[in-house]
Amino acid sequence: MRALHTAATGMMAQELNVQVISNNIANMRTTGYKRQRAEFQDLLYEHVRRIGTQTSDQGNQLPVGVDLGSGVKTVGTPRVMTQGSLYPTGKDLDVAIRGEGFFKIQLPDGTYAYTRDGSFEMDSQGRLVTPQGNLVQPGITIPPNASSITINQQGQVSVTVPGATQPQVLGQLVLTRFINKAGLQPIGDNLFIETPASGTPIDGVANVDGMGDLQQGNLEQANVEAVTEISDLITAQRAYEMNAKVVSATDQMLSTTTNMMR
Amino acid sequence: MENTLLVGLSRQVALRRQLDVIANNVANINTTGFKSDGPLFEEYIAPTARENNFRFADRSVRFVQDRGIWHDMTSGPIQQTSNPLDVAIDGEGFLAVQSPAGERYTRNGALQINAAGQLVTSEGMPVLGDNGPITLQPGDRNIMISKDGRVSVNEGASNSTESQRGKIRLVRFARPQDLIKEGSSTFRAPQGLAAEPVAQPKLQQGALEKSNVSGVVEMTRLIDITRTYTQIASLMQQQSDMRRNTIQQLAEVPA
Repeated sequence: MRALHTAATGMMAQELNVQVISNNIANMRTTGYKRQRAEFQDLLYEHVRRIGTQTSDQGNQLPVGVDLGSGVKTVGTPRVMTQGSLYPTGKDLDVAIRGEGFFKIQLPDGTYAYTRDGSFEMDSQGRLVTPQGNLVQPGITIPPNASSITINQQGQVSVTVPGATQPQVLGQLVLTRFINKAGLQPIGDNLFIETPASGTPIDGVANVDGMGDLQQGNLEQANVEAVTEISDLITAQRAYEMNAKVVSATDQMLSTTTNMMR
Repeated sequence: MENTLLVGLSRQVALRRQLDVIANNVANINTTGFKSDGPLFEEYIAPTARENNFRFADRSVRFVQDRGIWHDMTSGPIQQTSNPLDVAIDGEGFLAVQSPAGERYTRNGALQINAAGQLVTSEGMPVLGDNGPITLQPGDRNIMISKDGRVSVNEGASNSTESQRGKIRLVRFARPQDLIKEGSSTFRAPQGLAAEPVAQPKLQQGALEKSNVSGVVEMTRLIDITRTYTQIASLMQQQSDMRRNTIQQLAEVPA
């Protein structure tokens, strides 16, 4: 019976839904994490009796047809790229983006990745790096004797060095935006890479041409809301149970058929 | 003689179809913009094996046949998502989308932007505005979709200037029942059914229309089907027993 397979697609879809929700909940406290959402669509229909078929020479037509659906499919798990709330950390090298844009990070193989996680550190040479040690673009090296690092809203990194009255500007952080940021591919470590779907990266600086501004001493929290996730989880679990019920009902009907012959 | 079996069989076949429809509804209980289906049955009077000239007329035999599937076009519940690219249609209407095979219609408003900046469905089909697909520019931000479907954005340095990128086209049909489901949350209009613009479109940004499948109703139908199926099976069983008895008793040759 078709119903068995149809219900199985429903169960698989809900299993995936729970998987996506659990990843969201697991990343509730991940800086710069953007929640994902499982998107479902109905599968193909078999047109057993086609609508509008002529039923007589007088031109009578079938007003309704018999279309049997074959279940559900997952079409994607797009990211919801809304702004997460900022929370103050007081740390010099924590930067949050308020608005559009991603920080540009150079990976060890020379390619670039993009992130919303601005919890930066300094490596042994004083360079600005991510917690994994990847360079933040453009390479900014902080002198060893520098004190009071300032990153302003435009992303200019400046320090005061002993003996100088004026703060010394070391560089300006690059922000990158994409026309379809939901099309970026996550590679873990809070990083995303460019894909054909995302469009080409557009480099710029903060607060110019629609880029967001930077907030030093803040981090962007995940945009996961516990209430939404839990209610989604309940819905997914109930839907799973109902699909399982359909499987057992189908099974029951099949066994009725088998038992008809004695 | 065989009629009981055949009538029972016609009902069982119909019930299996009905179960298929319910399984599809339940599988799509979480599918955005899904419209549930329901089966329609009709009575089929067998044209043969009838003689009305006897004093006691033969009873005509009636079979059951599934005639059609109707789409329940009521609105599903609206869920707030606060994602600017989600739109829910409040009331009647469909979004028109451009599929490779022609224009299709959907109530699934979980939109995305593709690499060319076009507003597309999750399947990548461009959403049609009054003047073709709606294309956003690389520098656009703060996408706003108004109640009547106008897509406006902020561009450039200031947040006060608004530019319009197009108007989402909402269409309605005189007979929405005639729409054909194509999968991927889309409907196809059969020949002779023209899409008309909705007089007063009402879109809601940051919300999605959930599936209108009601779990309770589907579970009730499911119980109904399994019970009926068992009843019919036992009916056919009794008929079979009766026939076996007849054969045994009639065939008993007295010694």
